[in-house]
Formats: sequence, structure tokens, C-alpha cells
Amino acid sequence: MTIFLASVGFGLVTASVLAIAAVGFTLQFGVTDVLNLAYGAVMIAGAYLAYLLNSHGVNIWIAMIVAVVVCSAGSVLLNAGVYSPFQRRGTAPITMVIVSLGMTLIIEFGVQAAAGGTSVSYTMSQGPSVRADGFTLTAVQFAVIGLSLVVMAGTHVLLRYTRLGKAMRATAANRNLARNCGIRTGRVITATWAITGALCGLAGVVFAMDAGSFGATSTDLFLVLILAATFLGGPGQAYGAMLGAVIIGLATEVSAAYITPDYKYVIAFVALLVMLGVRPTGLLGKAVG
Amino acid sequence: MNSYYLINLLIYAAVDAMACLGLSQQFGVAGVTNFGFIIFQAAGGYTAAILALPSDSANGGFQSYIGGWDLPFPIPWIGAAVVGGLIALPFTFLVGRRLRGDFAAVGLLVTAVLLNLLVTNYRPVLNGDAGLSLIPQPLLREGSRQSAGYEWLFTVGALVVCAAVYLFVRRITESPYGRSLRAMRDNDIVADSLGKNLLSLRTAMLVTGGAIAGLSGGILVSYITTWSPAAWGYAETVVLFAAVIIGGAGNHRGAILGAILVPVGFEEITRYIPTSNNLPPNLIPSLQWVAIGLLIVVFLWFRPQGVLPERKRVIRASLLGPPASLAPAAPGGTDPASPAAAGTAVAGAAPLAPVPAASAVPRPAAPRPAETAPRGGEVVLQAADVVREFGGLRAVAGVSLSVRRGTLTGLIGPNGAGKSTLLAMLAGTLPVSSGRISYQGQDVTSLPAYRRARLGLIRTFQLASEFKKLTVMENLLSSVPGNRGDSLRGAAAGPRYWRGDENAAIVGATALLERFGLEAHANSYAGDLSGGQRRMVEIMRALMAKPRVLLLDEPMAGVHPSLARKIGGELVALAAGGLTVLMVEHELAIMDEFCDPVVAMAEGAVLAQGTMAELRRRSDVVEAYLVG
Repeated sequence: MTIFLASVGFGLVTASVLAIAAVGFTLQFGVTDVLNLAYGAVMIAGAYLAYLLNSHGVNIWIAMIVAVVVCSAGSVLLNAGVYSPFQRRGTAPITMVIVSLGMTLIIEFGVQAAAGGTSVSYTMSQGPSVRADGFTLTAVQFAVIGLSLVVMAGTHVLLRYTRLGKAMRATAANRNLARNCGIRTGRVITATWAITGALCGLAGVVFAMDAGSFGATSTDLFLVLILAATFLGGPGQAYGAMLGAVIIGLATEVSAAYITPDYKYVIAFVALLVMLGVRPTGLLGKAVG
Repeated sequence: MNSYYLINLLIYAAVDAMACLGLSQQFGVAGVTNFGFIIFQAAGGYTAAILALPSDSANGGFQSYIGGWDLPFPIPWIGAAVVGGLIALPFTFLVGRRLRGDFAAVGLLVTAVLLNLLVTNYRPVLNGDAGLSLIPQPLLREGSRQSAGYEWLFTVGALVVCAAVYLFVRRITESPYGRSLRAMRDNDIVADSLGKNLLSLRTAMLVTGGAIAGLSGGILVSYITTWSPAAWGYAETVVLFAAVIIGGAGNHRGAILGAILVPVGFEEITRYIPTSNNLPPNLIPSLQWVAIGLLIVVFLWFRPQGVLPERKRVIRASLLGPPASLAPAAPGGTDPASPAAAGTAVAGAAPLAPVPAASAVPRPAAPRPAETAPRGGEVVLQAADVVREFGGLRAVAGVSLSVRRGTLTGLIGPNGAGKSTLLAMLAGTLPVSSGRISYQGQDVTSLPAYRRARLGLIRTFQLASEFKKLTVMENLLSSVPGNRGDSLRGAAAGPRYWRGDENAAIVGATALLERFGLEAHANSYAGDLSGGQRRMVEIMRALMAKPRVLLLDEPMAGVHPSLARKIGGELVALAAGGLTVLMVEHELAIMDEFCDPVVAMAEGAVLAQGTMAELRRRSDVVEAYLVG
């Protein structure tokens, strides 16, 4: 029971990090139609920037805000400089994925070259911890969960109650129709890159805070979790991604407690393959055929 | 030059070239984007290792692995190829028609990442992170490499295997089967509708490419005598993709060039960068990866076709002799009674006058029954209460329809009436939500599109659907059924096995091109033609598929009116020969002139059926369509 509760605690933290990342990823894909595999690389760039600032004496929360802003701007530039020109040329989706893999290498190993190639450790005061029958969470972990809840609530408000959110949903559903209805889809897409880029940067920083140490390629595996959460919920579905993040986060950590931590990603992997093979529209999506 | 260095270079070049050839076959020719390609090379490497290694206790016991069979050469290499091909089978569920290509690619990428993690962490089977070492080299008992002669022999062996792989993939690619693969790459849904079994084609490509990758892994392992997870990270696949893209996807020589430029070249260049103590240790390898990423993006932008682009397959029909003399030798030679064969006969007889066609047709077409019966022969295609829903929208809401043999049935209705959706369901491109479809007395409701196409139920598409990177001639040839070279086995048997079928098909295609006045464009890429010409290519391609029932979705859209009339005339002639046509068309003059009966649809349901003149008298039809 103790182990179970402890693993649920870890699971909630993982789910929180994952939810921020997966909501950003799924919105990015849904609205912009780019399956951006460089998402994990941008996360790491944000994490590394926050680490760099923090190690030079900048308060971690301020460093986090800087990282979020930089990743947001960086994502807008990534789209304007790379993805959007390719899309305008009518590049096939699969080629876009190859381009995004190329960008992954450029960003990840660019960070590695800048960082000197060693994995950096994020040692920070974890603050007082709360214990209850094995359920142990540090203050930082609580902060991560809290941040995630705020982000989810913010996403909900954005999508339901703002003009931009409605325009994003309309663009995701049918870009041409949205444009013909007078929605400036170009602006909506740029705004989406800014918002999802910010989420990506935030996810990167909390990922690093949670992980303790990270290297340039640390998010390669985390991207598997993001994809699993995204496809569980149905690609493009923000609420689905939240649900998927909770399921995947809890499932990986609870299984890690009972099997071995080395294989905790396997559950996410199996979930992803099953979803791809059986129901690519996700648990909340519509069945095909 | 140091001979050890040269040997090293040549063997790496051979191994990388083989891997790139396998990837080029999958990605460049067949359009199967296998981001997990490195798994197959890894599997081959491990297989060769555990087949060649002595049992783990005999090997000092410092590493643990299964197998350890101590088998002699060439069993490890053969095993590597076989296992590389076999482990492709579990992945086939990802590459069927239902899953978007980019999603399938992501599934394969994730698999590569995860398998690497699993092998790294699980020691008993393949010695985990540390990997396997002291793998015996072929034909050498002791692990020591002494003689330069042996090393040269190994090099020659690797190069010979690489050359054999090149000849093999070229033979496959340049066959009718290779043409089917390229058709699938250009437009898989259209290829499906022309009788290509996408799952089988993609499975064959995964297995062939996997076997080639496995073989390359086996050869590499028996040269470097060690294999560990670090050698096959997912990013290695990206390097191979970079090589194929830079060399030229779809061109096998390009794949070899890419292998020499990227994986081999990069290793060599970094040797010559002066090492300085001031540089951080990982800087050069990191920048190497950055450079590979940059190469991919820059090439895809500035030269997506690569250094050596896929070459155009020019087919000179004139080399086969004058088509007129050969025309009666029914194309394909399998079904002389088929309408396409009839078509060639028409070409020989009187291209412009449809009337004599009936007499020129060998088909024992039943004379039309008594005047009281509905126009045409027996019912060949029937929809019973067919429904299709998209989300909450009922695009087709319970349509029942019978199409009789030898008729040109028209289908009209306003935009959004559900005409194209109905056509797609009849052809099997879309599954029905409910209802039944029968064809030639057989229930085909659950039959996939390619199976219906093979029964002679062929459709065209409303949107442009030519295979862009195939020439017009190749587009026509791609749909001819029954070519002996249109299977992996037939393609492997070589041109002599299928040349006869191919020549007959070329003769048929040439005759058809001449009839529609497109012979001058036979060797142009279909993607470079005008909209109207592309429409014609699609119709001709459908005719080459030897249809019994032809479903045409706005065949005259964008076609010059005089050409449209010519197409109509041809269709009437073919219908007289037994072909059945169901045609969606907005041009009512066409309907007036050629189609009887005409079915009018609106809002997902059949409104009325009759001759065009009858429909014009119906106020509901006029209201729904003719006026609105």
C-alpha cells in the first residue's frame, strides 16, 4: 500500500509535467497540422536556458519565465522560418515529419554543443515535503502539480471562452472553411505557435526540475510519453491529451514501482502502438469506418 | 595509403550502401517511411553475433547472451537477412491503408527508441548496454585478424554482396511490380482503387528492406566483431534518411552516392579536423549531428529530388513495331472478351465512329431484351439502402440503386447530394455505414476496394488522381491487370519472364493514347499535364484496367467540350460492347446526349430516375437541381 501511494504521488507529478507538454503538442498539431517531433528538443532548449540562468544566480521562477518566453518566440520563428515555407509549398505531411526530425537534430545537438556535451544536474532546494502513509511530495513537486492545474484551467478558458480559442478550434477543424468564414487563420496559427511554444518551454523547465538532471537527448524518451498521451486522447484533442497524460503518467509510475523502473516506458509504448493500430482517433475521438 | 584504412573505408561503404539501398527501396520507391529502419540492421547484427558466437560459458563468461551456437559462415549472414526480414512482420499492422503515413512513421520511430531502451536495460538476452564482443569473423577460428589477404577477401565479399543487393533492388524497381510500388507512393488510395493490395505491397517492402538491412548488420558485425545498443540509436536512421534524401530518393545509384557522402564521408571528414585541447570533448560529434540535421532541411528545401534525381522511364512504343498490326493481340492476353481489348479492336477499325464498334466486339453480348424491359441487360451493380455518415451528417441516407449491364447511367444532383460518396462506397474506397452492395450477383459490401477492382469494378476520382511522378504511359500501364511481372516473385524472375505481357500492354496503351490524341505526351510526367489532359489520363488508365463496370466521377470536368463529346462517344461504343458505366456529371448536355437512364440525387437520397427528358418534367428535380 505504501509503495502504491508513493508511486501514485510520483505518477501525479509525471502526469502534471506530461499534461503541460501533451496539451501543447496536441494543440500545435491540431491547429497547425505540423507533427512537430522537434517539440522535445525545444523543451530541452528551454530547460537548458533556465538551468544556465539559474546557475548564474537568477531566481528559478524568473528563469522559468525567460525560458517560456524564449521557447514561445523560438517556436514562432521555427514555424515562420522552416515549417510554414515548406507547408506553403505543399510539402507532404510525411516530409514535414522528416523536416521536424532534422530540426530535432539541429536543436538538440546545438544545445549539446553549447552545453559542452555533459548532462547537467538541476540541484535545487526541494523545500519541505509532505508525507502521508508513504505518499511523499516535496514542495517543488507540489508546485509542479499546481502549475499544471493552472495551465489546464487556462487552456480550458482559452479554448471555451476566448475569441482566439474559438478561432483555434475552428482552424483545427477545417482551415479553409475557417478562413472563408473570415477567421485570419495565418494569425491564429502564429498565435498557436506562440502559445504552444510557451507550454513547451514550461514543460521543459518543469521536466528538468522533476528529473533532477538532464542531457540534450533526455526528451527523446519523454517524447514517447507525449505521443502516447496525445494519441490516447486523440491527436489534436486538448482534453484528450489531459486525460491521456493522467493515464500515462500514473500507469508508468505505478508500473515502475511494481516491475522495474527500467521498463516503465514500455506501458506508454504499448498504449501508443495499440492506439495507432486500433483507434488512431483516440479514446475520445470518433471511430474510423 | 594505409591498406587497413582503405579496407575499413570500403567495408563501411558497402554496409552503408546496402542499408541505404534497402531504405531507398522502401522510402524512395514505395513511399513507406520506415523511421525504425535501424531496428532491422540491429536485428541482423545481433542475429549474426549469436549465431557465430560460441556458448557464453565458452566465451569467458563475461558476457551473457542467448544462442551461442558457434555456427560456421555463411549461416550467420543468412540468418541476419532472414531475421531482419521476419521481424518486419509485426510492424505490418502499422502500414495498412487506414493509418496516415506520418502516424505510422511515428509508430516505427517510437518502436526504435523503445527497443533500444529495452535491449540496453535487459542483460540476459543480448548482454544489455555493454553489447556483444569477440564475435568470430567468418572462416576464422581464432578471433585474431592477422593476414592482410583475409581482410581483402572480406572486403571483396562485402562489395560483392552489396553489388548483388543493388542489382536486386534495381530489378524489382524497374519491373511492373516496381511501377505498382511507385504508383502507391504517388497516391495510395488511387492505387488501391486500381486493384493494388496496399497491405501486401507495403509488407513486401518492409520485409525486403528489413532483410537487406539485416544482411548489412550481419556483415558489419562480423567485421567489427562487436555490437551494442549505442551503435543503433534512432538517430542512426535519420542519418540513413539524410543519405537517401541527399543522394536522391527513388534512385538507387543516388542511395549509394548518399551512403558514400553522408555516413562514410562524415566519419572521414572529422578524422581530419585537428584536435585541440581547448575544445570541449563532445563538440565535434555534436556539431556533426547538427550538420546532418541541416543537410536534411536544406536539401529538402533546395533540392528535394537529391543529387541524382529519380530518372524518367521513357518507353518507346515504336520499338515494338506498328501498333495497328499488333492491336488485335489483346493486351494482357488474359481476357480477350474484356472491354479494353474491345477498345483496341475499335481503334483498329474506326476510331471516330462509335456505331460499328458493336460488331467489332468479340464479346457474346446478349441482344437487348424485349422493348418493355428496362434499358440494358441484367443488373450488374446494386446498392440496397446504403447509408454513409460522417459524424452526425448523413451524406448518403439510404440509397437504393440498380445499374444494368451495357448502360451509361448518369448520376446528377446539386453539390453535397452525396454522389461522390455513393460512388466511393460502390467502389469500396469508403466503407458503408449500413446497407448492402452487390456486384455481378455477389455481395461485395465488405470487400476492400482493390478486390472489387480486380473483379472489374473500377472508379475514377473527382479530384486529380494521376500518379504524378509516373509518365502518362506508365500511368496507363500501371492499371493493367494480370501482368506476370506485377508481383515480387515475377519481378525477381527478371524482365525475360514478364517482357511479353509488358509489350502487349504497351501496345494496348499506345493504341488508346492515339485514340485520345495524347500519344505525343506518352513520356511526359502525368503531373506536368494540363487539368483536362490529366482527366483523360485517368479515364484511359481506368479503361486499361479492363473494367466491366466503370464508375466515373465528373470525367468531363475541365475537358474541352469537343473532347468531352469524343469521350462520350467512346463510352457509348464501349457500352455497346458490354461495358457498364455509372457517371457523375454536372454537364447536362452530356447527360442528354449519352446517358440513359439518369438518376437524380439530392440531400443524400435518390429523387428520381428516368431519361433526362423525363427528369426535366419533374418539378422536384428541377427545383432541387436544375434551377437551384
